[in-house]
Amino acid sequence: MKEVFTMWRHTQMVVLVALSAAIYAAVLIPLKGFPIIPGLIEIRPANVFPFVFSLLFGPAGAWGAAIGNLIGDFFGTLTVGSIGGFIGNFFLGLLPYKLWGAFFRRGDVEPNPNTAKKLAVYVAIVIIVSLVCASIIAWFVALLELFPFTPVLLLIVSNNVIPGIVLGPILLIALYPRVKQFGLLWTEIMEPEEVSASRLQTLGNVLVWVGGIGALITGLLIEAGGFGGGITVGLALIPFLLLVVVGAFLLGGREQVEAAEEMMAADEAPEARTS
Amino acid sequence: MDPSLYLARDTFVHRLDPRTKMLLLLGTFVLAFVFLDPLYLAGVMALVLLFGYLAESLANLRRVWFILVAITIISTVLWALFGSGQTPLFLVVEWEALLYGIAIALRIDITVVAGMIFLSVTRNEEIATGLARLGIPYRFAFAVSTALRLVPTIAATGSTIGQAQRSRGLDLESGNALERIRNYVPLLVPVFISTIRSTNVFSMALESKGFGAGSKRTFFLRISFGWRDAVALALFAALLGGAIALRAAGFGGLEGFGG
Repeated sequence: MKEVFTMWRHTQMVVLVALSAAIYAAVLIPLKGFPIIPGLIEIRPANVFPFVFSLLFGPAGAWGAAIGNLIGDFFGTLTVGSIGGFIGNFFLGLLPYKLWGAFFRRGDVEPNPNTAKKLAVYVAIVIIVSLVCASIIAWFVALLELFPFTPVLLLIVSNNVIPGIVLGPILLIALYPRVKQFGLLWTEIMEPEEVSASRLQTLGNVLVWVGGIGALITGLLIEAGGFGGGITVGLALIPFLLLVVVGAFLLGGREQVEAAEEMMAADEAPEARTS
Repeated sequence: MDPSLYLARDTFVHRLDPRTKMLLLLGTFVLAFVFLDPLYLAGVMALVLLFGYLAESLANLRRVWFILVAITIISTVLWALFGSGQTPLFLVVEWEALLYGIAIALRIDITVVAGMIFLSVTRNEEIATGLARLGIPYRFAFAVSTALRLVPTIAATGSTIGQAQRSRGLDLESGNALERIRNYVPLLVPVFISTIRSTNVFSMALESKGFGAGSKRTFFLRISFGWRDAVALALFAALLGGAIALRAAGFGGLEGFGG
């Protein structure tokens, strides 16, 4: 997770945070008029952006998603729930690039879902990350006893998964070559030593999945079984959400930066020979 | 398009330091969570509305009234169905669950109205400077303020691109739900590219002006914490303390709700 803090040293990454947040908010705000649960959830085709930002801009995408969602709330729905929205959207932007690195370690690591395998991994990542984001926000509002866990969770999951799967692959295939051409991929901007190394990457991947799915099942069972209200759900989910955080730490990301450097060096070698 | 909620008025609330306004907003969020009795929460809402009236910012209620009404209906219905109480009212609904739903609706409505008042009396630049002066790292505060400033520009770009794409036959309204979402692709790709391609020029412009060169920053917008801020915070602290004491004494709760 070191890169989440070291990225602020790079002016380009700071600008990418601002631009990502502005794009996300600019597409969110016109749809504020169509809330599903007012003050918390609207119809959000813009929710494809955190996945796209994350895979292209790495940690800048995570901050961009969190700030963009907060700014979206600045235009009429700023509530105490905005704190949960900030954290949930941060993880919505943080986990995709980290999980991608766990599936594609060396060789073709480009986040461009142009093969069947990459597309399948992308879809799986969208589903688990949407579960984690929804669990965090639903956990937060349940803990504050603002809304029941189940409807909030199901609405946020569908609101993230549908645009993520329907729009995400098309956007990534269209945008990846251009962003690479601009030299704005996070793996090209950041240095390997600024990114935390992957420790027990497979375990980190498993912990994120166990945490996300565990939080979903536990929250749904507690509410459906009538075992308690928001406080019970809130306390019971803490271990699962901690698993996600630990998993995110273990996933690292340095290998992606190193792989990108190797690819750039391989691309530059023939050019140097011809010149 | 002007999505900003800021209303340029000359009231004592507008003149408060942005840090004071942020603390008052956070304090109001806490105040909304002290009570659970709808009557007490209605009192808190009345105070918030009075503050909004004094700040001449209630005109913005027109922009959020739909959200407030929808929150009230959805919260009341959801909790009446999901919650349980002791006094049967009709079918599966119990009196305490209905009261709880109304209380939660009031809680959320209070935070929405308080957020709206804060945004009506605080400029974006003040929010960014206030964040930095509260100790938030400058680069983070800069990203927030830049994003806030760029939102109307990107929204206007999106509108222009939308008109251009419609003139080429783009129809956002046709098809089923999935097709409608997919219809957004010709809109989202140009908005993204036209914004992101300015990153390198933007970064160079910032660095040429010394962005990140010095450790201690100065600000064009100067904010200062004065006697008005001290009085406002002291009055609010007394109000919040009184509310907490009242709740600790057993008032303002809701008996019989079973979650």
